[in-house]
Amino acid sequence: MDQDPRYQQSYELAFGTYEDALRMVGAASEPRIAANPVSGARIQLFAAMVHDGNRSYWDPEFARQTWGGLLAPPALLMGWLVPPPWEPAGRPPVAGIVLRVPLPGTTFINAANDVEFLLPIVEGDRLTVVEELVSVSPEKRTRLGVGHFVETQETYHRDDGAVVAINRNTLFRFTPGAPS
Amino acid sequence: MTGAELGWTDIDVPVELPEVVDHISYQGVVENAGATWDYFPGHFDPNYAQSQGNPTIYVNTMHLAGFADRVATDWAGPRSRVVRRSMRLAGSIYAGDTMIGRGRAVAKRCDTSVDPPRYLVDIQIEVTNQHGALCCPVELTLQFPENP
Repeated sequence: MDQDPRYQQSYELAFGTYEDALRMVGAASEPRIAANPVSGARIQLFAAMVHDGNRSYWDPEFARQTWGGLLAPPALLMGWLVPPPWEPAGRPPVAGIVLRVPLPGTTFINAANDVEFLLPIVEGDRLTVVEELVSVSPEKRTRLGVGHFVETQETYHRDDGAVVAINRNTLFRFTPGAPS
Repeated sequence: MTGAELGWTDIDVPVELPEVVDHISYQGVVENAGATWDYFPGHFDPNYAQSQGNPTIYVNTMHLAGFADRVATDWAGPRSRVVRRSMRLAGSIYAGDTMIGRGRAVAKRCDTSVDPPRYLVDIQIEVTNQHGALCCPVELTLQFPENP
């Protein structure tokens, strides 16, 4: 299954062998800065999507007194660093390091996520992330197909340098179906 | 479900958290992609999702995480904050499914390794679908206000 050109904007995968991927383990990305600061509009769009009436997301006065501003839902952490789907200057969206790991798998699905939130993230914060490739597993077969588990760590900090969150993610990069 | 506020000292563990149920429509999955900017096609294109071996589009990790966080903070109140969350994506929640979140507070502890100390409660959450399949086991820690 070749990559479908309709989707290249949203995820352009790098292809290669397991050995290519292993050579990248330990590599850290250049810092990537979020396209926009944390905004009340996106906080509330996410809270609406999960039907979460938590006042920390909806009540500006309560949130200001409690957190110093509307609280970013912890679950939206990764979303702040997803590039917008289009930008006027034509700057190509920079994908996360996990998509740039060269492997044979034609698609992926997330497998596990482990995150520590050291400080509250609030409206107005601008986040920067540094990503590191932690490990790539040998070939594994799951119910979805054959592929490799790719573990990455993302460290998020604010403009003042404070680390606000450390996210460890494991994704399964695989080729669907076909028995070996 | 946001009025109640629990104090750390008032909590006896173990205790079951109120169940949270959410039906996931096609619109919900597409809202998920829009709200998180995660336009991986498995989250909006049923044909693509099927090419991966899935019956249809499915919610992303952030949606499941947000649902788990809601199970915890609906119970604990808006002055609590998720400080740690560990989840395994064992199965997917597809458009048309119902997510059921059942939580259990299993431990409370005062972390004195930091100043001021942190007042914490450890919670285990299981997100299942309408068939009872465990899609996402979650371990989550909430921090409560400094002066409980």
